[in-house]
Parts: sequence; structure tokens; C-alpha cells
Amino acid sequence: MISIKNIHKKFGKLHVLKGIDAHIAEKEVVVIIGPSGSGKSTLLRCINYLEEPTEGEIIVDGIPLTSEANINKVREEVGMVFQRFNLFPHKSVLDNVKLAPMTVRKMPKAEAEKIALDLLEKVGLADKAHAYPEQLSGGQQQRVAIARALAMRPKVMLFDEPTSALDPEMVKEVLDVMKSLAHEGMTMAIVTHEMGFAREVGDRVLFMDEGRLVEEGTPDEIFSHAKEERTQSFLSKIL
Amino acid sequence: MNFDFDLIVRSFPLLLVGAGVTVQITAFSVSLGMLIGMFVGIARLSNTWIIKTLAAVYVDFIRGTPLLVQIFLIYFALPIIVGQRIDPFIAAITACSINSGAYVAEIFRGGIQSIDKGQMEAGRSLGMTWGQTMRHIILPQAFKRIIPPLGNEFIAMMKDSSLVSVIGFEELTRRGQLIIARTYGSFEIWLSVAFIYLIMTFTISRLVDYLERRYKIDDKH
Ligand SMILES: Nc1ncnc2c1ncn2[C@@H]1O[C@H](COP(=O)(O)OP(=O)(O)O)[C@@H](O)[C@H]1O
Ligand SMILES: [Mg+2]
Repeated sequence: MISIKNIHKKFGKLHVLKGIDAHIAEKEVVVIIGPSGSGKSTLLRCINYLEEPTEGEIIVDGIPLTSEANINKVREEVGMVFQRFNLFPHKSVLDNVKLAPMTVRKMPKAEAEKIALDLLEKVGLADKAHAYPEQLSGGQQQRVAIARALAMRPKVMLFDEPTSALDPEMVKEVLDVMKSLAHEGMTMAIVTHEMGFAREVGDRVLFMDEGRLVEEGTPDEIFSHAKEERTQSFLSKIL
Repeated sequence: MNFDFDLIVRSFPLLLVGAGVTVQITAFSVSLGMLIGMFVGIARLSNTWIIKTLAAVYVDFIRGTPLLVQIFLIYFALPIIVGQRIDPFIAAITACSINSGAYVAEIFRGGIQSIDKGQMEAGRSLGMTWGQTMRHIILPQAFKRIIPPLGNEFIAMMKDSSLVSVIGFEELTRRGQLIIARTYGSFEIWLSVAFIYLIMTFTISRLVDYLERRYKIDDKH
């Protein structure tokens, strides 16, 4: 579904990604872990071209990311959920969710609204359709953000530390929504520090450090039998 | 000194006509200026070098030269190029709009830049184009924030519009001059003129306060 070939990313002199090769299969849930500043967000943002790789190739669902047209095409197929939600504060919850289907897919309003309401139902927020983002808790906002991304019917979902900005008691409600997505067979790439979740839901775990992919494997291979010393030392600090 | 209150009463209707013209020219200029300013403000944030540079040159030129000189350029210099006299009203509005546009452009640019970068990224990540995100996400939020500086620009323009009196355009200041030429009531008339400007600018600033409050409440729902 996604193939990442020899991706390099530099911000000026700062060499953030130093040749990443990875592959995400259809319906696979890949969890990316690693210390802060190791380039996890940058990698995720390269997949939908919020950052342009300095070098390398990314192919999403058979579409190579080269022309502007392709980039927009891919973005329609790849949903992204941000650490800080990034809901549109001037729009109601319902309008947040239905905006992209209407403007990008040119979907009629009634249809977009129906899809939006179904998705809000799914994330447990049907009763908040007419509320505004600032009236919601962090966990609720993040669930709206997930519904908003799903409204485009993406083939892949990217999550960049979706629970890091949340109060502890709200983490579970967001992880539960992600879990149910995984069970429905959504292809997902998730950057997270929730190791319990990674173990339970992840098909594969990638460990990144200093812009490189250090080690990858099943959750069990990584969490219980890590081969690389850097992986072990990182895990010993957080587990 | 002899204070001729009766002169004020007699001149007031004529001054009010002038004030009406001042309001007109200000409203026209700021409206056109907003339109120009919105596009130029966005252009200044463009990734295309030529668009960005042209916008910057325009803003720098206007902000770096006096409005009075800009009025002269349009009223006296431009006719030499186009080979035709320009109507004072057209010249006044053109000069003031072009002037206002540059200041409004900076206001828009600041407003757009004050919106969290995550908003553009969220829009783009949903597949919306840059333009669609600008229109549906960024500009509506930016607009609320720039109401106060836009209000200030409106007030500044209203006061600066007195400069078009130099090309004989009969707005409030010019009316005052003409009445004084006839009556020699310098003190009474300038006082009245100042008073009328004050009432107008005060009214606008109240109006802007009201709009700002209403949008703030709107925000909360
Ligand atoms: N837009 C940017 N400009 C400059 N440096 C950046 C930018 N984005 C990220 N970086 C730098 O790249 C490195 C990796 O960042 P990031 O991908 O966010 O790491 P992680 O998500 O793993 O914490 C950091 O050193 C960060 O400061
Ligand atoms: Mg990050």
C-alpha cells in the first residue's frame, strides 16, 4: 500500500531522515516508536507530502508522489490525525467533518452530512454534531479529528502521537476508536508512546533513532526480544 | 476675539455635505482597498518568487511615499501618460484605494500568519488545495482577528482623505477652506470641521468595537 524508498530529509543543514526504507502492506497496522527528535513525525509527514523529501521515492497505492496532481490525489486517500487535533475552530463539529467531502469530492451537502453523522456516531459523538471544537474535551476533539479524516474514505490513516496531548483519562477513548478501525482492516501508520496499545494492535513495530530505521519486527520481537542495543536502551527507559 | 456662533450654524449644512463626500470617498477607498489588500496580502505569502516580489514592491512603494505625492502622481502626472484629464473624484478614489490597499495588505498578511500552521496542514492533509484551504479555513479565521486593525485603517483613511482637498475635490476639508475664503471665519470653521471629523471617527471606532465584541461572542456559541 505504501512503499518508502531511501527517503532523506534535510532542513537546511539538519539531516533529519537518513535513508529510510519501509513498506506498509494493505490492512497492516504499523507502529513507529523512537526517541523524541528521531524523525518519526517527519517520516509520517513525508508520506502525504506535508514535507517534501530531499531524496528518495514514496509510492502510495501505486501512485508515485511526483507531480502536484498526484500529491493531491494521494492526500485524498491518506487521512492524517495530528497530535494537536487541528480542528477548524470556526466550524461546528459537523461542518469540520463534512467540509472536505464537499469541497474536494464535490459531494452534495445532504450526502456529506449523512456520512459525517454516521462517522460521528461511530466515534461516539453524534450528540456533539452542532457543538464547536472549543466546547469539547481533548479526547472528544481528537475523535472528531479522526471522524474528519475518515470522511474522505481514506485507504490509509496516519496518526502522529494522537494521544500525547491528552489528559490521561482521555487516552483510552481515542485508542478505542483506533482499535476498532484496526479491526475493520484499515491500513494504519501510528507514531505513539502507548506501548500497551502498540503491542495489542500493531502488526509490526518500527524503531527509529537519529533519522534511521534501527530495527523492525512484530511487537513481541521488538518489546521482548530486541536485538539492537539502542532499541533495548530506549525500551528500558519507557517500559 | 469675536466668536461668531451664528457663522457655525449657517455653515453647518454646507460642511455636512462635505462630510457626506468624505464618508463616500472613504467608504469607496477602504472597500476597494480591502479587495486589493486581501489579494496582495495573500500574494505576499505566495511561494512564487515573482508574485511575492511584485506584491512587496507595491507595498513598499506605497508605504514609502506620502499619500499627497501619490495623489499628485495620479491627478497631475498620470494624465500626461494617458493623454486625458482625470476627474478629481476618480483620481481621489484611485489614489486612496491604492494607498489603503498597501496598508490593508499588511494587515491581511499579519492576520493570515497569525493562524496556526496546523490549520493549513489539516486542510491540505484532507486533500483540499491551497486555495480551498485559504478560502474555507484560513481567511475566515484571519478576518475575525483583523477587524480591529481594519477599523483603524478605516479611521486613518477618513482623516487622510482630507488630502484630496489639494486637487480641489470638495470633501469636508475643502468645503471648510471655501467657506473661510468667503467669510474669514477661520477659527469657527476649522473648529467645526475638526468636530465633524471627530464625530465621524468616533462613530466608526464604536462600530468596530461592537463588531469585535459580536464576533467574540459568535466564537463561543
Ligand atoms: N520544519 C522544520 N524545520 C526545521 N527542523 C525541523 C522541522 N521539523 C522538524 N525538524 C527537526 O527535525 C528533527 C526531527 O523532528 P521530528 O520528525 O518532529 O521528530 P519526532 O517526531 O521523532 O520527535 C528534530 O530535530 C526537529 O527539530
Ligand atoms: Mg513528533
